[in-house]
Amino acid sequence: MVTRHFPLVIILVIVGLALLLPLFLPWTYDQIDWNAVRAPAFSSSHILGTDELGRDRLARLASGTQITLMVAMAAALVSLLVGIAWGATAGWVGGRVDEAMMRFVDGLYALPFMFIVILLMVVFGRSILLVFIGIGLVEWLTMARVVRGQVMSLKERPFILAAEAAGTPPLMIVIRHILPNIAGVALAYLMLTVPQVVMVESFLSFLGLGVQEPLTSLGILVKEGADDMDMAPLGLLLPGGLLVVILVCLTIEGERLRDHFS
Amino acid sequence: MLALIIRRLMTAIPTLLLIILASFFLMRLAPGGPFDGERPLDPETQAALQQTYGLDKPLWEQAWLYVSRLAQGDFGPSLVYRDFTVSELVAQGLPISLTLGGLAILLALVIGVTAGLCAAVQAGKMVDKSIMMLATVATALPTFVTGPALALFFGLWMGILPVSGTGNGLSWLVMPVVALALPVAGAIAKLTRAGLATVLQQDHIRTARARGLPETKILFKHGLRPALVPVASYLGPAAAGLLTGAVVVETVFGLPGLGRYFVQGALNRDYPLVLGVVTLYAGLIILFNLFADLIYGWLDPRMREG
Amino acid sequence: MSLYSLRNLSIDIAGKPLVENVSLDVEPGKCTAIIGASGSGKSLTCLTPFGLTPGVTSGEIILDGVNLTRADRYQMRQARSQHTGFVFQQPMTALTPHLSVGSQLQEAARQAGASRLSRHELAQMLARVGLSRTDERLDQFPHRLSGGERQRVMIAAAIAHQPKLLVADEPTSALDASLRAEIMDLLDELRAERNLGLLLVSHDLASVARHADQLVVMEKGRVVETGPAASLIAKPREDYTKRLIAAIPRLEEAAPTLPAVGDMLLTTRDVCIVFPRPGWRRGNIRAVSDVSIEVREGEALAIVGGSGSGKSTLGRAIAGIGAMTSGEIRWRNEILPGRRKRTREKYGHIQPVFQDPIASLNPQWKVIDIIAEPLRNLRPEFSKAERARKAKAVLQEVDLSEDMLGRSPTSLSGGQAQRIAIARAIIAKPELLVLDEATSALDALVGAEILRLLSRLQRENRLSLIFITHDIASARRVCHRIAVLEEGRIVETGAMEDVIASPQQEITQKLIAAS
Repeated sequence: MVTRHFPLVIILVIVGLALLLPLFLPWTYDQIDWNAVRAPAFSSSHILGTDELGRDRLARLASGTQITLMVAMAAALVSLLVGIAWGATAGWVGGRVDEAMMRFVDGLYALPFMFIVILLMVVFGRSILLVFIGIGLVEWLTMARVVRGQVMSLKERPFILAAEAAGTPPLMIVIRHILPNIAGVALAYLMLTVPQVVMVESFLSFLGLGVQEPLTSLGILVKEGADDMDMAPLGLLLPGGLLVVILVCLTIEGERLRDHFS
Repeated sequence: MLALIIRRLMTAIPTLLLIILASFFLMRLAPGGPFDGERPLDPETQAALQQTYGLDKPLWEQAWLYVSRLAQGDFGPSLVYRDFTVSELVAQGLPISLTLGGLAILLALVIGVTAGLCAAVQAGKMVDKSIMMLATVATALPTFVTGPALALFFGLWMGILPVSGTGNGLSWLVMPVVALALPVAGAIAKLTRAGLATVLQQDHIRTARARGLPETKILFKHGLRPALVPVASYLGPAAAGLLTGAVVVETVFGLPGLGRYFVQGALNRDYPLVLGVVTLYAGLIILFNLFADLIYGWLDPRMREG
Repeated sequence: MSLYSLRNLSIDIAGKPLVENVSLDVEPGKCTAIIGASGSGKSLTCLTPFGLTPGVTSGEIILDGVNLTRADRYQMRQARSQHTGFVFQQPMTALTPHLSVGSQLQEAARQAGASRLSRHELAQMLARVGLSRTDERLDQFPHRLSGGERQRVMIAAAIAHQPKLLVADEPTSALDASLRAEIMDLLDELRAERNLGLLLVSHDLASVARHADQLVVMEKGRVVETGPAASLIAKPREDYTKRLIAAIPRLEEAAPTLPAVGDMLLTTRDVCIVFPRPGWRRGNIRAVSDVSIEVREGEALAIVGGSGSGKSTLGRAIAGIGAMTSGEIRWRNEILPGRRKRTREKYGHIQPVFQDPIASLNPQWKVIDIIAEPLRNLRPEFSKAERARKAKAVLQEVDLSEDMLGRSPTSLSGGQAQRIAIARAIIAKPELLVLDEATSALDALVGAEILRLLSRLQRENRLSLIFITHDIASARRVCHRIAVLEEGRIVETGAMEDVIASPQQEITQKLIAAS
């Protein structure tokens, strides 16, 4: 179990540390230690040293991870809800409605959506809420396609027709027969959406368009690290490495889940 | 075939128009304007500037003016780089971005398809598992991490590649292109591997085998083309991904490409510049999707009738 | 000496013995047919010796005097390309989609080392297997051809290099019923003309009986009985063979005695079903045109036709689970509303049973919930305990034991699943069942049992049936009357025995020939 789901274990450890560490560390993520600017690792009370403003790296990593994962989960949920609603409607109603709804999705797929999100961020200011609504709205497309495909193939299956002949009303057919049968696949794609969202959020934050100071996220930490990398490479390598580990683990678990259900 | 191209182009124009108008109105909804510098300008200068650039007219009229000028190939003046028109800035940035993106997708295709093929041929063995593991890691490498990390290792520490700018020869291209190509190459490797695994199970492969063809011929003549269909459908999203990635890479490596103008423009409310870049990007992506459709038809003749 | 011989062939896959001690011979110009239900190891027996399915073989394999028993992969390839041609079950997927018919034929012709063939020669090969407009076909991609045409191309490619042995794995079972006889006749002609040995695999004893010289009957990986076709069918020695022969509905068998019919139950008048073309294209597809049928109490009506004849679409409209464009359906002379307008009570009159039994059951549900679903909607007055009691009772009616109730559909065999589907259909006491190819996905023995079950329900519960099928012989075991559908229209209708005795339409004759 532990070796098979090694990636999942790593994720759980990272989440656990990100949640618990701030409770035990003597420094908070935005507290400046004037006596220890650019402190090296393992110096005094700063296990991973401090950045160029004298803020504790470990505290900032923990807080950044928290924010990044929180935004990711919220946005993935938005994408799940929008995707299921859109995809299930298109698939269930079918015909021209389906055609039009899916053309719309195809159209959006072809757009440089990231730029629209960037514009949104610029226009409406930079709040966390907007960040994940924005991201969720981009990432629902794949979910909608997957759900629609599933519903389309289920809809013609004889057991759905048998349920209709048994007098089951359409809404109950959707709730009792269709949704339970797409839950697994939807869950797998939810898992795969999370790393996507982490990527997008970090990207926006890296450009200075995502999460704003004093809050921090892994993207912001990477950006700060990149700006200061000639002086303090750890500042780049730590958040960058952590981000990659999170992305890889989430992707592996998500793909395993997807292969299991399809 | 020709009908398909024409149909695609017909839908491309309204799509493009929609993007332009949506971006246009979005930008204008934003608080703040292009002339809010460090020191506020006096009202008269402000008004004069507004008039020069036509910003005092009603919004819909500005939109109409913009689109009609665009139809004649005029992107308008830049509001922030005052001495340049947007066309001039774009003419400067586009070749850099195109070179970056084009090389990156070529590299990704070559590495990805080769790796996917190797893995599929060795299915289930150590080679397969390691390649797939590497591909998964590669897909999870964001350009904004690999870019700076590459610059740190090869630029600052080893000093063998330039960290920024477009100087000496072509070596400036190496790191940006690699950073851009890695995640795409990983995704293509996975798609190729999965595509081949599916196709090699199909009936027509057994037919080919029944004809006594050697395995390599079965793989390349009968297996590879249909296996690449998922790769072709990934090319559209990949192109969009590369363009977004280019924004970061150009910022990290200090390259004057379109992406940098876009970010600068967005932050400074340089409306014509941002609109120009968005229009170009959208056009490029639409073109690329059309190209992907053509590849589709070659890979699987059933899709030509689409 | 035989062209091809297997002696004590055994096949293991992953350590599991799937075929044991099979021996058979194929003579030049003759046909040896392996008959068996799914899972009997018949396809493995014919493909594994040539390395076309995975598996470890032991025993002796001799092709044209060469012992292939210990052949390596290269020798296997030689054996395939020099002397053997193959035809598979699924014509729709057996040809490479991105290569033209001509280039695949060329590839097949050159496999034994022949030089490049001219276009004219390739066209002649296509003409030999009965294709027209051959020059045009050479440049076409497989998806432009129909299933029957593709199977002809497969046959042309299989004999293009002048092999001595042709291996045909269920060559007709994926084809439309009306085409099967033609393809079998083509194989017979080619065999005679080129002195070709034919190793045929089929699940359908009836359809190969008249084409085969030798029969090999297999069950669970072993040979049950083997012998000359005519004598084996006339005088089967083994019990399994006897049951198999008895199970297969044949038109020569005596007409069954069917229960008497009562009052008029269901009538349809001028039913038309039209679908809009998919996508944004204009125009419609007419699936069913002006169909008027009637079914009385206790009566069974066979609706027979090839694929695409509109028979399933019609059945679904009657059961209220498919669209109907115009016309009317009456139940005991009262209008029966169409899909989504039908009340629960009216849904209760008619229940459907489908072709694919496993897909008919929600994989996430337990058998008890599946069976009780109609009660939940149609008889809301029943308590949960009452529903469970009814479910147990109905399981007995379909000859299943109570311990089925807690099982999940994925663990059921095809026959068990179809019984569950029938149990669900009859639990709320409907008066009419619409059976859409309800026996055609099942193995012969299992299908015959389901037919027996239906005939008992027909008798004991006075259930009326609409039996939709392509197979007139099975329909004859339960049906009083027949309606033949072609391109959405009823082209011929009448009492079952009359229509079989003197079919008027070409399609009816073809369907009878295929049964």
